[in-house]
Order: sequence, then C-alpha cells, then structure tokens
Amino acid sequence: MPVPMPSSSLKVPAQPVVGRFAERLLVADLPDLLPSRRREVVAFIAHRVDTLPSFTRFGVLAIGAVFHVLVAIPGGWGAAVVLMKLPLPFVGEYPRLMRSLGFAYIWEHWPATTPTGADPETVR
Amino acid sequence: MIAQAATATMEADVLVIGSGAGGATTATVLAEAGLDVLVVEEGGWVDQGAVIPFSLAQMDQQYRAGGVTVALGMPSIAYTEGRCAGGGTEVNSGLYWRPPGELLERWRRDFRIRDFEPDDLLSIADEVETAINVRNVPKGYSAPSEMLRDGAAALGWQHGEVPRWMTYPNGDDASKGERQSMTRTYLPRAVTAGARLVTGCRVDRLVLDGGRATGAITTLADGTPGRIAFRDVFVCAGAIQTPALLQRSGVHGHIGRTLAVHPTVKLAARFSDELNVPDDVPVHQVKEFAPHLSFGGSASNPGLVALSLLDQWSTFRQHVTDWKRMSVYYAAITSEGRGRVMSFPRMKDPVVTYRLTHRDRELLRSGLARLTLLMLEAGAEAVFPSFKGAPTVRSRRDVATMQQAFRASKATVMTVHLCSTVPMGEVAERCGADSFGRVHGMQNVRVNDASLLPTAPGVNPQASVMAFAIRNARHFAVTGGNRA
Repeated sequence: MPVPMPSSSLKVPAQPVVGRFAERLLVADLPDLLPSRRREVVAFIAHRVDTLPSFTRFGVLAIGAVFHVLVAIPGGWGAAVVLMKLPLPFVGEYPRLMRSLGFAYIWEHWPATTPTGADPETVR
Repeated sequence: MIAQAATATMEADVLVIGSGAGGATTATVLAEAGLDVLVVEEGGWVDQGAVIPFSLAQMDQQYRAGGVTVALGMPSIAYTEGRCAGGGTEVNSGLYWRPPGELLERWRRDFRIRDFEPDDLLSIADEVETAINVRNVPKGYSAPSEMLRDGAAALGWQHGEVPRWMTYPNGDDASKGERQSMTRTYLPRAVTAGARLVTGCRVDRLVLDGGRATGAITTLADGTPGRIAFRDVFVCAGAIQTPALLQRSGVHGHIGRTLAVHPTVKLAARFSDELNVPDDVPVHQVKEFAPHLSFGGSASNPGLVALSLLDQWSTFRQHVTDWKRMSVYYAAITSEGRGRVMSFPRMKDPVVTYRLTHRDRELLRSGLARLTLLMLEAGAEAVFPSFKGAPTVRSRRDVATMQQAFRASKATVMTVHLCSTVPMGEVAERCGADSFGRVHGMQNVRVNDASLLPTAPGVNPQASVMAFAIRNARHFAVTGGNRA
C-alpha cells in the first residue's frame, strides 16, 4: 500500500489567513509604501507561505489564524502588537516571517525604497 | 541540458536518488564502472546564469520551499536546501575546504569506520579538486572580502582565502567566475558514461521486502504517480531528505537522530565607501578560533541587507538606504547541540528540530562580539548585529554593551551546512550506516551524501561529501555491493 501523501489540492490557501495581518504589519512598518506595491508584497508573502513544508505551513497558518482574528476586530491591532512582543515560543516568529519575506521582496525589487517605504521617485 | 523527462515507469541496475555533491559523484563512479545508473532529481534543471545568484528568483527555482525552511527550537534555526539538478552545489558559495586530517582520524576512531585511511580520502580530494577546478581568485578580491582580510590582519588573527570551484573565462576578471558545480562537471561525466539523469521526479518511499528494497514509489512534477525498479539504491537526497525518505519507507535504526549543523549569527557592517557586491560572497574566512568558531561573508543584496536589519528595525531602519556601503558577515560555530529529522504518516515533509546547548549559545555570543570587533578594525563606521534589542556598535566600548545584550533566543540564527543524520561507522548505537554507507539492517540500500558525515566538520562540508561519496561508490563498484 502506498503511503498517502497530502495533495496540494487539499491545502487551505494562505492568502485569506495571512493577507490581512501581513498588510497591516506593512502599513505599520512602512507607512509610505505605495498601496499597489503593498498588495504585490502581500501576494508574494502568501505565495511563499503556500510553498512552505507541510508541518511548518500548518503551524504558520494556525498562528496566522489567531493574528487574523485579532486584526479583524476593532482595537485588535493593539492586542496583536502586545502578542508580538510576548516571549511566547514560535508566536514571535510569525511576524518575523512576514517581515522577512516582505522586506526581502521590497528591497530586492525596489532597492531605493526609503526607511518608511516611500519610493524616492514618487516623493521627488 | 542533459536531463531527461521522467516517466511513470523506469528501471535501472542502480538508482541514485538526488543529484547534488553526493549523488552526482556516486553516479559518475558507478556509470564509469559500467553499471546501468539512473539518477532521479526532484527539482528541475536550471542553467547557470539563468537566475541571479542569491536572488528570490533563484530561491524559487533552485531551493526547497523557496528557501524558507526551518529547524524548530529555541531559537529556531533557518536553513536552506538545494532542490534542483546539481543540488546545493548550484546555489552555494562554491568555497572548498578539505576535511581536516585530525578530524578524519577522530571520525575513524570514534565511529570505527572500517578500511578507512584518511590519506586515501585526501588522495580522492586531489582528484575532486582537478575535476571541479578548485582554485584561488586570479586577481583582485571584492571589497567585502578585503574588509574581512584587513580586519583579521589588524587583530593578528589567522585568516586566508578559501579556494572555490570556479573558472574565470574572462581572463582575470574575478567578478565573472563560473561555478563548476555538478551540472558543469560530474553530471555531464556521468551521462557521458551512460547514466540517465531524470528531473522532476520525487521519490515518496522505497518498497521494502524484508531487508531489501525492491522498488521506489514516485510522484512526477505533474502529479503522475510512478514506480522505479532497481537492484541497488543510493539515497543521496541531503541530510534532511535522506533520513526522511528512509523513515517514510519504514527503515528503522539510527536514522535522523543526530542532525549536526554550523549555526551562524550575522551582522551588517557599514563602511565609508560603497562596497556592496549583490551577487557574490567574500572568499576570505577567519579561522583564528577554528574549529569552534569561524567568520566569513554572506550574500548581501539589498533585500538581504534589509533582512539583517530587521530584528531591530525601529532603530536600524534609517540605515537601510545605505546598503551600497554595507555588507553582511557571519560568525559560525561548530555546535555541540543536535537536531532530529522526523517523518510522520500522511505528512509529505519531515519535521526538523534543533537544540542549541548552553555552550553553543555562549559561543554564538562571543562569536558575534569578536566579529563585531573585527569589523571595527576593518574600518566599519557602524555595525548592526542581527538580534532583537541590539545596539548600533560604533566603538570597542559598544562591543561590550552588545555582548551583554545578546541572547541566542533573540537572534536570527541560520545555517547552510547540514549533516550527520545517518552517521557512518560500525558503532551500532551511533551509526545509521556501515563504513561504506550501507544502511544497517538493509542489504541493498545505501546512503552517500552529507548524512554520512559523523559530525559537522567545522568547515564547508561539500569537499568531504564528494570524497566520501567517491570512496564508497568505488567500494561498491569493486565489490558488487556484496561485502557486508
């Protein structure tokens, strides 16, 4: 009997789970990032989460679901910020993963991006 | 391109799973000995130069999971695995270190590796160095490499250039080197000798019948299930995927329990002049504190510079636009900690864990402090260590503050060297494979990659991997695999 391997078709897509939080995090970290770029970055982050190894992906989406709910409720962002600062195992690695993927994409694609996310060409 | 498309049903006398440093050399030796060899590779064939080195596009095409893989722990350790024809040799820095002679002696003694003469292995290393053109940079080092050299020289620390497997077709232009990876060297040799190379074919598990493997269950890139029949199999899928495949296949024993890595911590150093080289790494390393601690340079494209500032973004962010004057460096340790690779039913990928010891954490702390000092001696205006709460370091006095603030649990810890998940030797309680890579308890299943190295070597491991793989494959070719 072949060992059944999880099929990619059974996956929950990452975008609905991580998208809202990733976008909110980018707004906080890089407030001047153009909305079109932010959407592109969020899509990239979701794509990378979709390709994570199965167990890691499961863990990321489980923690992501908690942050997703927090961001969705009024005043929840403050609670999310507190949660990010708590020294809880693995929880703090979720925003780090979002930032790592996002920052790597932003500065590789638009290396002149300012510390607030602005495009110098647009500013000029 | 020399790779063929996979088909649902294939067969060969010898199946080699994986086409990296272990698989490519194994296939070459066996094919040149006249055996019918099939090499299967899960990833695709990517021509060198088709993607920019160390870019996100390269990670998409040539790394497993886009380069986002992690060993869980406190802290977790990010690692990368090549997943393409040629494996890790296509994506790494190409730096070449022979295994130290005293280390080989220790491996032989502690793991009771039979019929093993370190001098013989070093003779094989001679052959490898010719085959992959190991050489120094012809003329002129990159500025980030010179900074490492100058900082070490100012402190009187032992340092030197590490040769690479490179050719320089544009004369002495060191910035236009071409990596002599497996797709340029051993894989074409294997194919010329009659081996077949198939890409886009994942081996899900081996079919076992008692102590023998009789076939491999595969999934092709388009999802088509397949099967490969063989007489003997060499599993060369790397230190994570090799034990994972054996576990999924129901092979028990000392498999996946002793993952060894070289954990690294990083910093970004800013200098007065532009020096950033986005698509290459420094060739100098500092070995004053080796084998426990080594310093070197990392890939430093603007995205990776931003990543190195991320842990203390609130204060480091203002410097991200200075990336042209910045380069990223690492301190790597030889860890006493160990990790595990564990496969679970219905899960495609293994769970990987790693536990740093107290000594490891202290070594990371002192390593980062020494590296910071080295950067200041090299002329850095400011150093930005990669951990939460890190101060900007501008003077020797700041180094002490930084060292005090450091906690491994707050740092971004990474590694690119993974080994020792199926250690070779005759010590039953410590070894997953015998002295030539045959998995204990199996008659025709062999491992021939970084998994076999008994411990992390303290230097870039691929020279050791290639030399051991050639030794073991030659033994198989001579004995027909019959010698237990």
